[in-house]
Amino acid sequence: MSNNHTGHWRLVLATVMAIAIPLSATADENYDQLKAQVELLQQQLAQVQQTLAEYQQQNIEKEQASREVSREVSELKVDVAEAAAWKQPNTLIHMSGYADVGYANSENSDGSFNVGSFSPIFHYQYRDQVMLESELELEVADDGSTDLALEYLTIDYFLNDYVTLVGGKFLSPIGQFRQNLHPSWINKLASAPPGFGHDGAAPVSELGFQVRGGFPIGDMFANYAVYVSNGPQLLAAVEDGEVELEGIEAEGFGSDPDGEKTFGGRFGFLPLPGLEIGFSAATGKAAVTGIELAHGEAEEAEPDEHDEDDPEEMAPDFDGDFSNEPARSYDVIGADFAWGLNTFNLRGEYVRTKIGDDEIGLTASHGASWKSWYVQGSYHFPTTKWETALRYTDFDSPHSSQDQQQWAVGLNYLITGSVLAKITYEFNDGQADSQADFNRWMFQLAYGF
Amino acid sequence: MRTLDGFKRHWVLAFSLTMTALAVSPTAVSGGFPEPGDFSRGASSWANNCSRCHNMRDPQDLRDDQWVTTAFHMRVRAGLTGQQTRDILTFLQESNNVAVAQTVAFNEGSAPASSSLSGAEIYTQGCVACHGANGKGTVPGAPDFTKTNGRLSQSDEVLLRNMSQGVQSPGSPMAMPPKGGNSSLTEAGLQSVLVYMRSTFVTQ
Repeated sequence: MSNNHTGHWRLVLATVMAIAIPLSATADENYDQLKAQVELLQQQLAQVQQTLAEYQQQNIEKEQASREVSREVSELKVDVAEAAAWKQPNTLIHMSGYADVGYANSENSDGSFNVGSFSPIFHYQYRDQVMLESELELEVADDGSTDLALEYLTIDYFLNDYVTLVGGKFLSPIGQFRQNLHPSWINKLASAPPGFGHDGAAPVSELGFQVRGGFPIGDMFANYAVYVSNGPQLLAAVEDGEVELEGIEAEGFGSDPDGEKTFGGRFGFLPLPGLEIGFSAATGKAAVTGIELAHGEAEEAEPDEHDEDDPEEMAPDFDGDFSNEPARSYDVIGADFAWGLNTFNLRGEYVRTKIGDDEIGLTASHGASWKSWYVQGSYHFPTTKWETALRYTDFDSPHSSQDQQQWAVGLNYLITGSVLAKITYEFNDGQADSQADFNRWMFQLAYGF
Repeated sequence: MRTLDGFKRHWVLAFSLTMTALAVSPTAVSGGFPEPGDFSRGASSWANNCSRCHNMRDPQDLRDDQWVTTAFHMRVRAGLTGQQTRDILTFLQESNNVAVAQTVAFNEGSAPASSSLSGAEIYTQGCVACHGANGKGTVPGAPDFTKTNGRLSQSDEVLLRNMSQGVQSPGSPMAMPPKGGNSSLTEAGLQSVLVYMRSTFVTQ
């Protein structure tokens, strides 16, 4: 019994061992495989961790870059806002104007270089409601000194689309040359037509108030200007022992010695594109406020022999007091037109200024009238920078020495639209040996800016 | 002409100015200024008014803000209406962008599909002011597109370059601005409008 029992245990033991030994071998293989897999996973995990670390680093760098971009964008926004604010605030300031230099040579004098003028124009504009405009005029005198004048200074109040209230010293709206054409870069010739410059037949400027604007009439347009001003003052002269009217100074005086205001204006009509027809008129009073030698005599007098500020020297009976000089009637009429077709332009203008009689006072004399008209044609040669101009002017004054008929011909080179080199020749016909009779040629370089 | 006595006339003057000021309404102070005008009308007003007195300046001569003061200065000087001033200002401000030199190739046949507007629409919006609905031109110096051997007889390359970069036409006091002043006009748009002009104005 016990032997048999022992035998069973041996059998069992042998069987277990027979089974266990192969199983042990299989477990070793699985272990190796698992170990390899674990090692592989560890490597992959390390790679993932490395990749993640790199990714996180990149994110940090990107975030830093993003913050930097955001900061720069914010700064740019501020810069843009500041630039926009500078570009168009409520108040705009702008300086424009024109200048010209050149050379002139007359038949009766040696030629000389000159600075025609430097005329800066200042604009201060508050939105689309108000604009302050002012033009200065600086010139080099013959003696080398500099003359400074206020050409105009106005405050323009834009009341609505059709009405602007203008106050101050303004260019005379009589005709078109003074208010539209006198800047040297606009004038096709190097000189103003006789009678339309300073002290001529046409008023230069006024000091007062003006209402002006434009309005449509169907498909056509019209413009207007009406003003009230201090008006002009008169200049007398001693000629042949008599005190006579010498000229009209209509240059925007800041006083009104005659106590009577001048009213005037212009109405312009544009029936067709490119065509404008205008009519002007002014009326008021003017008194003599100055006296000088007659034109010819003054020229002949030596500087130390003649002082325009000392009327007693020239008119011994005159006590120097103009307060008793009566106000004479002052009337101006004018008409003008301008027509453009492609690069051809034709324009013309007539103006007459009449001073009434005076029965009392130092300058008791008959009245006088100044009148002038011109017609001007200009042509810009297509595809070139060249243009030519031709103008005829007839100026009549009470003094034969001032009367003048003039043909002026010019050839211009347009460096740009507002920079011109001009050569002008004037054929002048006036009283023999007077300044008005000598031909002259001019070169002018004009710059509108 | 007989004048009123000084005292009475001063009152007439003061009364007239006061009533004038009260009768009109100043522009409201709000938002940008001035209000945008009409580009097409501005081109026409610019051509018809400015050249009457002086040579035409290049729109690129001045910045946008400088054109504002210049336009208002000319409003007073030339008797322009407020609307004319705004129209001209809009034209100048949209025309003073510097031209970007580019080569515009022409595709034969129909207009490229990338153009959002047809050639006719572009022409009507941006070109008709100066060139007219009939292509004969409405402003001084604008070419007559219907003319035999006229402007449209030039090569596509030349025409597209002129349209893109602007051109000074012979006899015209003003230059056409780049892309007619419409800086947003694309290459496809230029091609579209050229196709339209050739098909509409060129007579065989």
